[in-house]
Amino acid sequence: MSDSLTFAVAAVEAAIAAGATDAEATASIADRFSAEARDATITKLEQSRSRSLSVRVFVGTRRAQLGTSDLTTAGIRELCARAVEAARFVAEDEFGGLPEAFATDLDALPLKIASDDVSARTADAKVADILDLERRIRAGDARIDNSNGSRIGDGSGETALANSRGFRGTFRSTSASLGTSPVARDGEHKRISYYGTGGRSYASLDSTEFVASEAVRRAIAMCGASTPPTQTMPIVFERDVAASVLGDLFNAFSASNVAVGNSYLVGKVGEKIGSDLVTIVDDGRLVGGLGTSPFDAEGVATRTTTVFDAGVLTTYLYDTYYGRKLGAASTGNAGGGGAIGVNNLYLRAGNGSLEELIAATPRGILVLDTIGFATENASGGYSRGARGLLIENGALAGPVDGFTIAGNFIDMLAAIDRVANDLRFDSSIVSPSFRVAEMTVSGLG
Amino acid sequence: MTGLDPALLESLLARALRRGGDYADIFFERKRSQSFRLQDGKIHEASVGMTMGAGIRVISGERSGYAHSDDLSPESLASAADVAALIADDPNAPARSIAIVARTVPAMYDRFDEAPIDAAIIVDYLHRADTAARAIDARIDAVNVSFASELQEVQIAASDGRLVYDRRPLMTLGVQALGTHEGRRANGYYGDGGRTGIDFFLTTTPESIAQRSGRIAATNLDAREAPAGEMPVVVGGGGGGVLLHEAVGHGLESDFNRHGTSLYSGRVGERVASDLVTIYDDGNLHGERGSLAVDDEGTPGQHKVLVERGILRGYMQDHLNGTLMGVPSTGSGRRQSFRVMPQPRMCNTHMPAGDSTFEEIIASVDRGVYATSFAGGQVEISKGDFVFMVAEGYLIEGGKITAPIRGATLIGNGPEAMTKVTMVGNDARLANRSYTCGKGGQYVPVGVGMPTVKLSSCIVGGSRVG
Repeated sequence: MSDSLTFAVAAVEAAIAAGATDAEATASIADRFSAEARDATITKLEQSRSRSLSVRVFVGTRRAQLGTSDLTTAGIRELCARAVEAARFVAEDEFGGLPEAFATDLDALPLKIASDDVSARTADAKVADILDLERRIRAGDARIDNSNGSRIGDGSGETALANSRGFRGTFRSTSASLGTSPVARDGEHKRISYYGTGGRSYASLDSTEFVASEAVRRAIAMCGASTPPTQTMPIVFERDVAASVLGDLFNAFSASNVAVGNSYLVGKVGEKIGSDLVTIVDDGRLVGGLGTSPFDAEGVATRTTTVFDAGVLTTYLYDTYYGRKLGAASTGNAGGGGAIGVNNLYLRAGNGSLEELIAATPRGILVLDTIGFATENASGGYSRGARGLLIENGALAGPVDGFTIAGNFIDMLAAIDRVANDLRFDSSIVSPSFRVAEMTVSGLG
Repeated sequence: MTGLDPALLESLLARALRRGGDYADIFFERKRSQSFRLQDGKIHEASVGMTMGAGIRVISGERSGYAHSDDLSPESLASAADVAALIADDPNAPARSIAIVARTVPAMYDRFDEAPIDAAIIVDYLHRADTAARAIDARIDAVNVSFASELQEVQIAASDGRLVYDRRPLMTLGVQALGTHEGRRANGYYGDGGRTGIDFFLTTTPESIAQRSGRIAATNLDAREAPAGEMPVVVGGGGGGVLLHEAVGHGLESDFNRHGTSLYSGRVGERVASDLVTIYDDGNLHGERGSLAVDDEGTPGQHKVLVERGILRGYMQDHLNGTLMGVPSTGSGRRQSFRVMPQPRMCNTHMPAGDSTFEEIIASVDRGVYATSFAGGQVEISKGDFVFMVAEGYLIEGGKITAPIRGATLIGNGPEAMTKVTMVGNDARLANRSYTCGKGGQYVPVGVGMPTVKLSSCIVGGSRVG
């Protein structure tokens, strides 16, 4: 038995011994490496093995959970006893309890989520990559005179899930990432940007040449930016920031928010909300995906779920508990800690490049970055600080910053009128660039 | 005292400096936590947690090596010391002998109990909060209440001979109220607590926290779309301190300034705000979320003057950046856990009182926004553009507070916005204790505070034009 599975099984046994009627444990053991370079110096070097254990205990239909980094036998026993004790204060809940069915087809899956190249790559080679990024961003443009560092990181680990119904599952996974953050001098201002790449293997990452040039392009593009006047206009979300919009949208179709009324999508399954271009899919078994795993945090088989189909909201994303509560089956989206998580969530790509989309936009703003975060799950209100490039007569014009874009998610989904074909699976939430026909730009005046 | 054997710490520090290096430290942590959540009027879930492990850091010039271990055996810790040591490479490094001496730390927290808080009391508080929030407005149809408490015990040993222990309580009761009006949903959130024990709720009752949440929800149910464009903004006292945290605070953290990536780099002694603006960051306010008897490098929490009558006075320093900039640490070295290295961070960032009354400030605005409650903010430290999100706000028309408006993001640029501070209220106060700050993927509890402040102009990111 693997080390992580040994811990998980021991935790389930400890929970049952402490009085739980059912229990489920997830153990993970991961080796992580990270390094940072600034100019010609390696400024940070970190390397560690992390172990963690999380357990859900059930006493009848009451539940409690625990999380710990203390994997000693005594430590696991003590915390299991405390969790069982805490569960006695939780209300009886007819929807509580382990799932009825678990993933069964574990061995045959060609998920490709672990790569040997992560552990094989030497620290020297990794460090050389970030020194290379630092050189390239400075060579990329004379205005780049500083950086907030270039970073590389990877993880290689094993996750095991065991429960008192006999489920035993383990999988290995790896990840690697590389990114840089150049600072351009723009008169009296500094313009910082970021570009990064991530994947399950080093081989899947973009080259340092590409990462550096994208980062430089984004910093330089913003030089000379001004604040636009207040107006309504079309907004084009470039793919990385489009993905963040999708991430905000996820909060509204996560069943845990729907069940407590904290969503503007409550009661709207079956309704046509988005435009025909809005097809949003969660795929738990995307080959090589950063959100891919054979089973979710409850051992339920992951799968493909179409959340929006040509604009129609077809389902929320469920774990077992919220599925029972709302009368649906789990979609394999238990994310651990009682939360619902995405697997690989994406908006289906459209036709035509981003360049063609811009060319088809007489007037608007290409948004490259937003700051701020969602708080308006209940009402669907959306308001963010933004920066990007004006679009005039189908061509990119001057840079703009220091403004906000605002609207309501329900209106925005209906107003998505162009989707580009630039979808890439370099994160667990991804999106092609898309255009919203009209949003409020708040700026000068 | 909870922690590793001092003799083991001394040998690990010496081992970490075997290949050279200027400084080494070890951060041991044992954090016990518990939380309960109420949903649909019932206790929905309970959780307990334990975070325990140690991290070993070696600093060599501007280079840092780090490794941590949740396995506290001497062998595993020795391996961590060896990995951290890799950052230095001096073949002629002399063998070091380290002697550490325990130091006392000031009392900084409210009274708290060693044992986890009695679950029966927590459950009672959650139900009381649920009832109180629902009683505010008949349209409130869902209430979520959460309670979390932790006791973090830390032990810090450094190659300069320091050995300190700190035991930090932290507690929060948070209430979210949701309702529907004319087919549109709205919510309110409010939380409070601090570095305190359960006695906190004898004076700040669960009902008072829940009522505040319910009132925000009720206000938002009646709210209209926020306006878009530039206008005067009155930032409410207490939580309005988020403005200081984003517009100024992050830009004064010393890592950004040593590297020259902050817009405030090299500007100590220069004017960065109107002369009405004074900003402090205090690590030594009793019981506040951001307070620390010692920071995560063993330096006592202290009072720092960041901006004095509009003039930039200094940065917030941790050990690494202070050493490289030739100044002492200001007790600002903080980290989320033993798994990560410390960074210079804020503690409790606030502004002292000015001269204006609240009524004078509101009466001075012909058309603008009064923002009373904030959901947080974010800043881009190089150009200094920041946002902060209004959770509860009102229109000001003809010098009077009128209709509530739905949450909007306010956007500005640090020094530009601070120059537009034209009135400061005499009602300085610290916010409710429910703020958490994220930086570089690390989250730490912080406090904010401010009197009522008028910005003569700010961009309000609503959706209603004209």
